Amino acid sequence: MTGPVERWFEACGWRAFAFQREVWEAYLAGESGLVHSATGTGKTLAAFLGPAAEALAQGERESPSLRVLWITPMRALAGDTAQSLAKAAEGLGLAWTVGLRTGDTPAAERARQAKRPPSVLVTTPESLALMLSQAEARERLGGVRAVIVDEWHELLGNKRGVQVELSLARLRRWNPALRTWGLSATLGNLDEALERLLAGGPGRVVRGVSDKPVVIDTLIPEDVERFPWAGHLGLAMLPEVVAALEASPSTLVFTNTRSQAEIWYQALLEARPDWAGVVALHHGSLDAEARAWVEAGLKEGRLKAVVATSSLDLGVDFSPVERVLQIGSPKGVARLLQRAGRSGHAPGRTSRVSCVPSHALEFVEAAAARRAAQAGRIESRRPVEKPLDLLTQHLVTIAAGDGFVEEDLKAEVRSTRAFRDLTDAEWRWALDFVTRGGESLKAYPEYRKVEEVDGWHVVRDADIARRHRMSVGTIVSDASVEVRYFNGKRLGHVEESFVAWLSPGDSFVFAGHAVELFRLENMVALVRPARARASTVPRWQGGRSPLSNEVAESVRELLEAHLEGRAAEPEMRAVERLLRLQRSWSRIPRRHELLVEQCETREGHHAFFYPFEGRHVHVGMSALLAWRLARARPASFSMAFNDYGFELLSREPFEPGPALREGLLSPENLLDDVLASLNAAELSKRQFREIARVAGLVFQGYPGQPRTARQVQATSGLLYEVFARWDAGNPLLAQAEREVLERELEFSRLAAAMRRLGNASVVLRRTRQPTPFAFPLMVARLREKLSSEKLADRVRRMQLEYDREADEAMASDAQAELFE
Amino acid sequence: MTECVVAGERLVLLAQRAAWWPARETLFVADFHLGKAASFRRAGIALPAGTTTENVERLERALEARAAAHLVFLGDFLHSAEGRAPATLERFARWRAARPGLAITLVRGNHDDRAGDPPAEWDIRCVNPGEALGPFALVHEPAPVRGGYALAGHVHPAVRLAERGGQSLRLPCFWFGPRVGVLPSFGAFTGSALVRPRAGDQVFVVADDEVIRV
Repeated sequence: MTGPVERWFEACGWRAFAFQREVWEAYLAGESGLVHSATGTGKTLAAFLGPAAEALAQGERESPSLRVLWITPMRALAGDTAQSLAKAAEGLGLAWTVGLRTGDTPAAERARQAKRPPSVLVTTPESLALMLSQAEARERLGGVRAVIVDEWHELLGNKRGVQVELSLARLRRWNPALRTWGLSATLGNLDEALERLLAGGPGRVVRGVSDKPVVIDTLIPEDVERFPWAGHLGLAMLPEVVAALEASPSTLVFTNTRSQAEIWYQALLEARPDWAGVVALHHGSLDAEARAWVEAGLKEGRLKAVVATSSLDLGVDFSPVERVLQIGSPKGVARLLQRAGRSGHAPGRTSRVSCVPSHALEFVEAAAARRAAQAGRIESRRPVEKPLDLLTQHLVTIAAGDGFVEEDLKAEVRSTRAFRDLTDAEWRWALDFVTRGGESLKAYPEYRKVEEVDGWHVVRDADIARRHRMSVGTIVSDASVEVRYFNGKRLGHVEESFVAWLSPGDSFVFAGHAVELFRLENMVALVRPARARASTVPRWQGGRSPLSNEVAESVRELLEAHLEGRAAEPEMRAVERLLRLQRSWSRIPRRHELLVEQCETREGHHAFFYPFEGRHVHVGMSALLAWRLARARPASFSMAFNDYGFELLSREPFEPGPALREGLLSPENLLDDVLASLNAAELSKRQFREIARVAGLVFQGYPGQPRTARQVQATSGLLYEVFARWDAGNPLLAQAEREVLERELEFSRLAAAMRRLGNASVVLRRTRQPTPFAFPLMVARLREKLSSEKLADRVRRMQLEYDREADEAMASDAQAELFE
Repeated sequence: MTECVVAGERLVLLAQRAAWWPARETLFVADFHLGKAASFRRAGIALPAGTTTENVERLERALEARAAAHLVFLGDFLHSAEGRAPATLERFARWRAARPGLAITLVRGNHDDRAGDPPAEWDIRCVNPGEALGPFALVHEPAPVRGGYALAGHVHPAVRLAERGGQSLRLPCFWFGPRVGVLPSFGAFTGSALVRPRAGDQVFVVADDEVIRV
């Protein structure tokens, strides 16, 4: 059946890879599966041409409606994918139409699709769920034969992935012979990725082209001696980066945060003003048009370099890119490989990524990441288990669409891996939540969302259905302010909280422009070119991922190898002086050791711990240790943490030695102690933001909303307080706590680390000054204070933080909760 | 209990988020927002019950042990027309019936304008902003009033207190400026907005069961 496909390949001058043939054959044999390989190795055609070959063999003359659903995680990728699928269909002489349906699709196009559905629809998880919430859902989607989930690894670890699982369960119910194929980058848990996608059904994992060579190296400055020990801007390497860009026709420069991208873009243009126009900036907050221009420039080879964030990690093929630079630590093996794969983006070519450390210890991280990559130790993505907030959303989605009978939908939901262990009580709660507004014992007559009519659950209120459709999805976006020049030119979006701290006349760098705030009105910041030099760069939330378990472990191994003289990497030679200093002032811990350094400065008494377990683990561990120490003897600590370790700082002298011998690191009562040590309620409250949005408790609003809609808006923080006080048993609160533990604190990793340290020999060193390992911790900005005082006492000690020079206006800040 | 002098009058600031004026045996309450949770439920947002009961009980606590003759709501007594759920109204009506001797005045606020006046049988005198009471001008939205010290609500004021070392707390507050005073919002299910007092303003935060001058 694949004859026509092979002939088309030949006509194009290509040769099919063995893995592509394997996928085609498997598809035609009715199988499902998962294809994994680096990007740019022909996965798209592997997945698409199976369904295409089948249609050719059936000799269809007219374009059938909706046969293939193509799900992509990024709206930005959808257009490109639709184009290449259309091209393939046309090349094969197939009478298929290809449509596009994302949040950006105009209403007229959506209406056209409703009237005449395309044969292939490229869409996102959110748009698919939205289609399920419409009355004609089954009619439109019931004929789908194949679903292809692109970049499945991007969805697997979050609620979007669960949303896909639920939607697939629905499609399978309508068509039990549905074939599902996932496309993924290589992961540590491919089998689990497959199991999730196919809901445990039979399928195969196909490995794509595997011989794509990847070169990973590090830019090493000539003058390593003066390289900074700490600091996150990392512009120390600017000359080396400029030289690297000069040497290569097209380079992608990846940073870990959007602020870093802005800073580097600015610095590059200052170093080489002649590069204006050929060096560009790309990150998720920039205006879509500007981003599209940069992407097109990369594809056509017009740009010499682009400074980008993870916004360019995925998708679109940038063949001309020859080299990738990674500014700062890559943090994870998968991410480093993914980014490397953006260069030499064609079968058979070499990918090259060079790490650009921003401080000395990042040389060690770079070498460690390479070792882990070479050993094939790639991170896993842990799927989300039983998110009840999403379940409540799904119930309303289905009720607003076809409607459901309780037992049927319960079985369908349980057929997914995510909800396999859903208990009857949990199901009951979710159903009550959307039908009665709470437990069935308490009835609220004014509440009606999902209504039961003769055993059939439906949404009857048109307003409720409309509001629900506008909030389908699991992505939480911050309130953002559009940044626009007077002449109307849009630059992009910044978080409202950043703009809130600016006054008119303040200047900042955004989208590569130095601008000055003129006026803020209706969520638009009007700006003009700055007169003064701008030094502020917006800080966007998020984006600080911790060192992955794989890289962290590799760092520990590398230090051990260094001690044994087995680490000949150029990166290790570059930091030799620093490591020598560390050894002579203190020690470099062996793998089975936990190094603890004590020293005294004007700030107080410091204890530095170096588990090398990654930032999230250290956040939890430092709070835990401070709490356990304070329980033994009242004390107050400041904490700082980074990927290597953490610091406890106290004004009073304290001796961790005895406590360390007496179970300070014990894994016993770990969960209770961690919850008690952190302000768990405060953390859960923050996490509740996402849950409240997914469960439909907050409505993100829409333009021109009626007044009544504003009367039912409350912040998630306020909602959390109301639930915590009057419905403390609400499972959504427990979910918030669980999500904090798993996501913010990586509790399972913390527990494993505690077990490891429990068996480690503790090496205590008293040093005269902070060591090279301690220094980055000293400058870490974040300090959390552990305090067990009564609120009122604390308040008496605190200072009112108000601006006494502020003029008369009552300025309410942007995070103000809606009091209207 | 914390006292302060505003417009020459002694006011007692209560941790129940209300202000007591002993000279006239009057209690001031701003932004009660009766029926807010019910209006959320009407819109399909499942909120737990309890906020109305909490509001009424806290109001009772603020009044008890004080021979209050007069209660003044400084606007936004009712949240919305949709929030007039039978159970909610009934809860308040029961409380009102138990306090027949208490005179109640409502200064209409922006929410009341849309929600409508409370049921007549509750015997609440509804007035427009600007009504004078001693040296005070009773309003909802804070703005200076000619010939009186404006007592207002509306903004749900809060301030952020910072500790050396970076931690901070956000607490609702009473905020008295030279010509306008703003009370914290009373309603249990109401948010707050950070305000920026000027030098010389008197600010008192509500921290659990205490009111503390900052």
